[in-house]
Amino acid sequence: MTGLLILWLLAPLLLLAAGLFIGTLVERRHLSDLQRREAQLDSIFVTDVGDFFAGDPAGGATLIVSEVVIASDYFKTFAAGLRGLIGGEIRSYVSMTTRAHREALLRLKEQAQRDGYDALCNVRLDSADVGGNVHNKKGGLVMVALLASATAYRRRRR
Amino acid sequence: MIVVNTEKIPGHQVVEVKGLVQGNTVRAKNFGRDIAAGFKNMVGGELKGYTELLSESRDQAMERMLAEASRLGANAVVNVRFSTSAVTAGAAELYVYGTAVVVQPSER
Repeated sequence: MTGLLILWLLAPLLLLAAGLFIGTLVERRHLSDLQRREAQLDSIFVTDVGDFFAGDPAGGATLIVSEVVIASDYFKTFAAGLRGLIGGEIRSYVSMTTRAHREALLRLKEQAQRDGYDALCNVRLDSADVGGNVHNKKGGLVMVALLASATAYRRRRR
Repeated sequence: MIVVNTEKIPGHQVVEVKGLVQGNTVRAKNFGRDIAAGFKNMVGGELKGYTELLSESRDQAMERMLAEASRLGANAVVNVRFSTSAVTAGAAELYVYGTAVVVQPSER
């Protein structure tokens, strides 16, 4: 009986520790992965303007779409709860949303490169709602869901 | 069929505008994905099941939009936009729309 009670008291602490250690590890790994892939795709020209800068008229164009859904961890959610008491910037969520934005943009670039294009224009990043979870209710999942789109084209050789 | 989210297509000119075309779908998450997502919510990381759900929804909605465009006799859809909305907890709508047009390579 006391064993159960101890477990009941310890469970949130274990979850917090798991969130802190595994969550931080997952985030670090993702960040270094992002950095490596971004460096490889540096040559792709990206704007969010609906105009084909230096576009090759014979090169064609196509719609490119990407999705990404990134979850919070228990520690981030807990830290956000504390922040909710005093107000202010929730840093733990900012790092999560930043990763999601970078990942979504990277996937657009990767897809463009796979299809043989070297430029993207009219980039749009929108938050998507997967089953009402983005506007988190009590007990709901905390996550960032993004739907990104852009038009891929080829630039004129100089 | 050429599909872009810009108003113009490089090397092409619009010769006829057929009008707005749209496609949508409402898809539910499955239970297994919910359990996996619940676990992921403790340690962080990508919710691959949800990413796939979004991709599937997008494919289906686009398919419907393109079917409408070809029914109208268009050979391109320009200015494509996506929008999502939560219908109930557990289901999401993905809506895609654009303008169906007939284009031809511009003379130069």
